[in-house]
Amino acid sequence: MSATTLSYRTRGWLRLSIEKQDTLLKMAVLSLAAILSFSCRLFSVLRFESVIHEFDPYFNYRTTKFLAEEGFYNFHNWFDDRAWYPLGRIIGGTIYPGLMVTSAAIYHVLNWLNITIDVRNVCVFLAPLFSSLTTLVTYHLAKELKGPGAGLVAAVMIAIVPGYISRSVAGSYDNEGIAIFCMLLTYYMWIKAVKTGTLFWSTMASLAYFYMVSSWGGYVFLINIIPLHVLTLMVTGRFSHRVYVAYSTLYVIGTILSMQISFVGFQPVSTSEHMGAFGVFGLCQIHAFVDYVRSRLSTSQFEVLFRAVISTVSLTGVLVLVVLTALGKIAPWTGRFYSLLDPSYAKNNIPIIASVSEHQPTAWSSFYFDLQMLVFMFPVGLYFCFTKLTDENIFIILYGVLSIYFAGVMVRLMLVLAPVMCILSGIAVSSLLSTYMKQIDEVKTDKKKAKFEGNYFMRSEIATLFVCMMSVFLVMYTLHCTWVTSEAYSSPSIVLSARGHDGSRIIFDDFREAYYWLRHNTPEDAKVMSWWDYGYQITAMANRTILVDNNTWNNTHISRVGQAMASTEDKAYQIMRELDVDYVLVIFGGLTGYSSDDINKFLWMVRIGGSTEKGAHIKEHDYYTPAGEFRVDKEGSPTLLNCLMYKMCYYRFGQVYTEGGKPPGYDRVRNVEIGNKDFELDVLEEAYTTEHWIVRIYKVKDLPNRGA
Amino acid sequence: MCNKNNSRYRLITKTHHEITSNRFRKFHGKDRVTSTADSLTIYIVNVNKNNMNSVKGILLLLFSFVVAFTLVECKKELILSERVQQLSDAGLKKPVLRFNSEKFRQYVKSTPRNYSVIVMFTALAPSRQCGICRQAHEEFQLVANSWRYSQGYSSKLFFALVDFDEGPDVFQQLRLNSAPVFMHFPAKGKPKKVDTLDIQRVGFAAENIARWVAERTDIQIRVFRPPNYSGLLALVVLLALVVGLLYLRKNNLDFLYNKTTWALGALAFTFAMTSGQMWNHIRGPPFLQKTQAGNIAYIHGSSQGQFIVETYIVAVLNAAVVLGMILMTEAANKRDDVRKRRIYAIIGLGLVAFFFSLSLSIFRSKAHGYPYSFLLK
Repeated sequence: MSATTLSYRTRGWLRLSIEKQDTLLKMAVLSLAAILSFSCRLFSVLRFESVIHEFDPYFNYRTTKFLAEEGFYNFHNWFDDRAWYPLGRIIGGTIYPGLMVTSAAIYHVLNWLNITIDVRNVCVFLAPLFSSLTTLVTYHLAKELKGPGAGLVAAVMIAIVPGYISRSVAGSYDNEGIAIFCMLLTYYMWIKAVKTGTLFWSTMASLAYFYMVSSWGGYVFLINIIPLHVLTLMVTGRFSHRVYVAYSTLYVIGTILSMQISFVGFQPVSTSEHMGAFGVFGLCQIHAFVDYVRSRLSTSQFEVLFRAVISTVSLTGVLVLVVLTALGKIAPWTGRFYSLLDPSYAKNNIPIIASVSEHQPTAWSSFYFDLQMLVFMFPVGLYFCFTKLTDENIFIILYGVLSIYFAGVMVRLMLVLAPVMCILSGIAVSSLLSTYMKQIDEVKTDKKKAKFEGNYFMRSEIATLFVCMMSVFLVMYTLHCTWVTSEAYSSPSIVLSARGHDGSRIIFDDFREAYYWLRHNTPEDAKVMSWWDYGYQITAMANRTILVDNNTWNNTHISRVGQAMASTEDKAYQIMRELDVDYVLVIFGGLTGYSSDDINKFLWMVRIGGSTEKGAHIKEHDYYTPAGEFRVDKEGSPTLLNCLMYKMCYYRFGQVYTEGGKPPGYDRVRNVEIGNKDFELDVLEEAYTTEHWIVRIYKVKDLPNRGA
Repeated sequence: MCNKNNSRYRLITKTHHEITSNRFRKFHGKDRVTSTADSLTIYIVNVNKNNMNSVKGILLLLFSFVVAFTLVECKKELILSERVQQLSDAGLKKPVLRFNSEKFRQYVKSTPRNYSVIVMFTALAPSRQCGICRQAHEEFQLVANSWRYSQGYSSKLFFALVDFDEGPDVFQQLRLNSAPVFMHFPAKGKPKKVDTLDIQRVGFAAENIARWVAERTDIQIRVFRPPNYSGLLALVVLLALVVGLLYLRKNNLDFLYNKTTWALGALAFTFAMTSGQMWNHIRGPPFLQKTQAGNIAYIHGSSQGQFIVETYIVAVLNAAVVLGMILMTEAANKRDDVRKRRIYAIIGLGLVAFFFSLSLSIFRSKAHGYPYSFLLK
């Protein structure tokens, strides 16, 4: 839109030609968008400090640090003995290395340029950096689809869209942060390849695809949507040599490259997710061959040949299918078939999927929350694409419709939807605005045309009104995005904050306090037992050996920890001796009201603890009251009130006044007075409790001296 | 007081559930052996002792008693193998055996047994109007069928059913005053408290019953739910209709290549998704709700939930805004006559402005603390 308005100014500003002005303006808008997208992700850094968020990012941070210090080959062969004591874990072959390699490369380049920056800061700011790169790629992608105006609008929109910000704020150092960039880059290269049909762009697309595979498991979406695009082009009769070259190159090079990632391995040739791509590759060859034969034969000859081949092939296919089904080799009518037809089948019938909060379906308010006006502009963009169908428009339509379906099924996939929402909305907004901006001007300048238009006297007024309204919408979009980012997506969850009575911000920094205490006050080889949620953080921040972490690859080991937590003190002592535990760490929210603490997770520990043979004596219903409730007050089950977890959380808590007008030992999460107040610990001693009691660390006592 | 509401979807426990539910299933799948063999022997010895004591001194009687006892023992043994045979025969025909009070006594109450019986006490007669019994019966049937046709089927475990109208005295004996009740009668010993399925907590879904059976009897049953063919049937009918339609119009297939059809389809799909129809499909919320004051609530009060009617409203609002935009675009095209285009433009502008602000205010009423609004409050 900027380009069109600009072209009406005949006299240059700064005496530049119109083209130069155009370029300058575009560059200015783009760089502003890139800076904006970087800076609006910094709320948490400004409010707290440059910290890494949550859990998984700590693991990524630790591996990046290792990679930066030890080099790629050591990283590839890394056997980690700090986690999963005494088993250890092979790290090199069980992760997507793209993220770590990227930040290690940035780190080395910067240091080579004598810009000293530490690995942590590279990690913290990597996601914002990549989101500014994403805005640039989005510009190019939308430019290929519609034009530079649409590109600019789309770039500005994606710079601040909350659906994407939610996964890429500073400190949220996770695969998704760079994966969206890789995805859009691959799409851009693919569109280029389809448009030009050159080997160069197809190879670039496969390289981009390789980068995507190396960084996120979501590459499966990509390797399915591109074949789908090719298939649609075939069905609509748009298949051409350009598409043939582009897809054949991408599939062959991309598949070979993707198999170089050791975590992916032979999956691209063996699993069903990749079979669609393979099938379309075959179809491509057949289609090209048929075209070739057709060009060599007369129409009638070809007709006969074509019919004969088609009927033979389909007949054999049906026969083989029938025979195989009769022999029981394949069973097409199973639950799996239904889950293909209807994704809610899996959700209703498989509790693993149903229980994850990220896997919940998306309510309309979430769509609105994450996308605001894009929800309305997206269909308009679709409409514009349909009015002028091209090869690349078909791609974006497919991408839009598919991703909106997946985002509806799963809240988490909003991340994949957000870019296409921005691109299509960019197309819509720029088309509408460029139409109506012209109309404001035209009435004044072009008398002849106005006459031809008849008595369309309100034309200019309507146009003005519309442009004003659109500007208001865009401003509201900006406000909305900023508000959402600031309120919902900028808390690091390693540092907690709360509002005091007078509205001031109170910071709870207990996690880091505890981890640093461990780092500085315990022996180097101390083993720390905690629930697995905190594993990554302890290894990364306290640098101590832990028993279980968020990778959760070994059920029995986690179960053993669960058993220790759920048992009485002396039974737990046996388990802790067996696992060489020196310190035990629990998270307790009863004093501050922090509700995701270990007592609230305790039932999972019991369930997991009881899930293996050694823990068969731990039964969930022992921890409930006779009425089937989970309570920590006097009515609570005695098994619960005497287990290790309860004792560690509530040790000495009975003497603390937490809230005015309540008895001592009042738990502010469960809102009850605790049931078992006066007890001493026999096999543990309190080693450290943080300022707000959120983290409590206990030392496991040595065996008593004989006769003592 | 802690500010944890910030991360709407990213609660700390999120990854937690992911893995733990996995464990949870495993937990219930595991066998938990409950041995009752020891208590049984003691029980019989006690009986013998008592009997001996009571007839001490009367040798003749003692003698005759011993003879009688052995006879009874023999007879019982006979009966046991016979009973098992009868039960297996019946079980092969019908996975769930129907017991009246006499049969119940004969097969379940009598000792010794070397088989477990899972009995559902229920009231299936239509006059009892027990809807829940019917559902429970279906689930129970499912478990029994899965057991009957499983690889490991043996005469170790039988499924039976006692209807209140056929054996009211059984209910009295066991002091049951509600239905349905699921009880496990172990091969040896008397049923304990845990041998009654806690329906309140566990429910009576077939999988849960199977899990409970596995806990009590050490026999794993994989519940096989016959897939619901109605969906498939509908699909086949639909496909047949489509194919038939195509065949009828085989000379005129242009409408397939008509992009307007596809565009309309894509737009409709988009509205369905953005208004949360998938959420409705998976969660099954109520259509609308009566508030405590007696009013009808069309809009759910929080952003966590939604009513079906609410999603329809939202879909209509979205569609209206989009329609407005499209009208404005059409108005700008230079093909139509001028007056029509002006009307288009004005209507479009009005639609966009009004419905955008309306949906904004609906969102505002759901997301508490949302500060922005446009035209409407």
